[in-house]
Amino acid sequence: MWDLILNPFVTILAWLYAALNQDIVLAIVVLTVIIRILTFPLFAKQQESQKKMQQIQPQLKKLQEKYKGDKEKMSQAQMKLYRENKVNPVGGCFPMLIQFPILIGLYQAIFFALAATPFQLVDLSERLLIPGLDSLIPLQRMWTPIPQLASLLPELDLTLAPTENPTYALALPLLVLVTTWGQQKLTMSSTGQNASKKDDDDDDDSGGGGGQAAAMTKSMTTIMPIMFGFFSLSFSVGLSIYFVTSNLIGVVQYSPQGKRVLSRVFGRKNMDEAPVEVVFEDDEPVKKTRKTRKKKARKK
Amino acid sequence: MNLAIRNSLLLMSLLILGVFVLTGCVGGRIGVSWPAVGLIELYGETHIAIAYNNDVAILSPTNGAPARLINPLNGEAMRDNENNPRTWILRGSENEGSQFFSVPIRIDEDTVLIADNNKRLLRVDSVVVEVQRAYPLADKVLTNMLLAGDMLYLPFQNGGLSAVALEDFQEKWTLTTEAGIWAQPLLVDDMLIVPSIDHFLYAVDRSTGERFWSVDLGGAVASTPLLANGRLYVGSFDKSFFEISLDGEILNEYGTQNWVWGTPAVDENGIIYVADLSGYVHALDSENGLRERWSVQIAERGIRAGPLVFGERVIAASRDGKVYWLDKRDGQLINAREIDDRPELLGDMMLLEPSENLAIDEPLLLVSSVHDSRLLIAFGVDGRQTWVYPR
Repeated sequence: MWDLILNPFVTILAWLYAALNQDIVLAIVVLTVIIRILTFPLFAKQQESQKKMQQIQPQLKKLQEKYKGDKEKMSQAQMKLYRENKVNPVGGCFPMLIQFPILIGLYQAIFFALAATPFQLVDLSERLLIPGLDSLIPLQRMWTPIPQLASLLPELDLTLAPTENPTYALALPLLVLVTTWGQQKLTMSSTGQNASKKDDDDDDDSGGGGGQAAAMTKSMTTIMPIMFGFFSLSFSVGLSIYFVTSNLIGVVQYSPQGKRVLSRVFGRKNMDEAPVEVVFEDDEPVKKTRKTRKKKARKK
Repeated sequence: MNLAIRNSLLLMSLLILGVFVLTGCVGGRIGVSWPAVGLIELYGETHIAIAYNNDVAILSPTNGAPARLINPLNGEAMRDNENNPRTWILRGSENEGSQFFSVPIRIDEDTVLIADNNKRLLRVDSVVVEVQRAYPLADKVLTNMLLAGDMLYLPFQNGGLSAVALEDFQEKWTLTTEAGIWAQPLLVDDMLIVPSIDHFLYAVDRSTGERFWSVDLGGAVASTPLLANGRLYVGSFDKSFFEISLDGEILNEYGTQNWVWGTPAVDENGIIYVADLSGYVHALDSENGLRERWSVQIAERGIRAGPLVFGERVIAASRDGKVYWLDKRDGQLINAREIDDRPELLGDMMLLEPSENLAIDEPLLLVSSVHDSRLLIAFGVDGRQTWVYPR
């Protein structure tokens, strides 16, 4: 099952390698760009959903206060609010669930294509779907970032970790950290989560859930870049290049200018519309009893 | 719980799951190679040597147990502090974390040489199994070395071969290749045949390293060639199998279904048996320009190791965890044995026949896997499992 995703990626990567003058770094960059562009509608959908969720947060809070103690009524009111604003509460997760196997497939494809040992390489024999690509194996794994400065920046072994490469390769985990942080930061501001942080902080004293969510978001923005930076220290240099490329695309994607361009290309509507205000008929919390239900039924 | 918190928790869980996947908990294979198996003389008898990851062990062919160390002074078994018999196992964890994929080579009564995957050549006292000295190497070694006369030939994982004189352990010459050498070189008279995954097969003078010829085989060459009828037979990752003259000319070529990674076998009639990584075994007539006699897919997964011929049977071991016995006349399946847990059978096979120095009553087939509790499995000729190492 997993092979259905992985094998085409490995094949396309090998094909790009052949097409791009046997430059594996360029092949990784191009494949990452292609995949990120193809999955952009999913990203945008996820962002849109998260943004809408943020926009209706004040109304949600009002409802929470209003229907404190009546979960059923609260849930009905929430559903109405979602309906009126065309928000799917789990809508942000679904596109992400689809993107995840794709991004992991891309990661694994790079891992397999850069096989450096017999144990890793033996798997590649079952993954190349286009005849003729076998003659490219093993792919060139040595890379000089700037050929003109080869004496200053000696070639890197893309299959080895930065710690096993020339010292300057240690800049890569740092780049991974910085670009991951940059992308996270822009993602948060793009979905309005930074903007709502102040409101959430105000609620902290009252123990509101928004405060906890903001704290969690903040810790993710801190932890994830450190985690990825740390992992890049032990992953191969080739994978760090993938992380940096992917993050830079994310930065472009979430920057205001990038968003405008991509929205025009993909024809997406403006996501900054004001949320629909919903007025509820029942101002007072209603306790659902058999009597009230019967009354309502008779009215109908 | 607030929906926003729930969503954040879900998002975080997914990210953590993603990180686990990315770090290799799912899918990607982290590993170096498979076990190397060979024969070695110890106490006047032929034993089996196996090298894989942390350990190098010398085993009794009778039962697969590690050989016991004998005190040469009194002929008694050596014992450790807890009075247990000491056995011939060299542990990488006790030797600066060495990893081993190359079997030991005996250079005198008391000394063996072992190349590790940490760029070192270890000189080991084989009486007490202790490293006496470690010589630094230019690169990692992940296949068997070759000893010929007073020269040791060390193939390197990332490219190149080094010829070292046993006399002083000085490097006499080197061969440069653009990619690794992942199979033991072959010596044909004074010519050393070196396969490389840079797509070339090289022939060099064993004494000086002077290159006689090199031939491009279109894909990585990761197996030791077979010498038969004065010609070389070897496959490549370009899904091709070649017959090459000893002066480096490709005489004939046969297209396989997938990469060829194992050394082929030959029978007394000159029929060559070659397996590929799509699970096919091919029988080719070496007297008729590699004309196909038969070609059958026997395994669900690839066959990495070269097949063996024994009597009227061709034997192959696959990544699907099974060993297959075929009729060599038509490739018909005679018998198949499944190893417990179906580990990938990636290491080279070996066939041992009873001899003066080999204490076995009947021929023994050795199959190696990458399963830590089934590194070496011994079968009788009838397919009955005899022993397993480690036990």
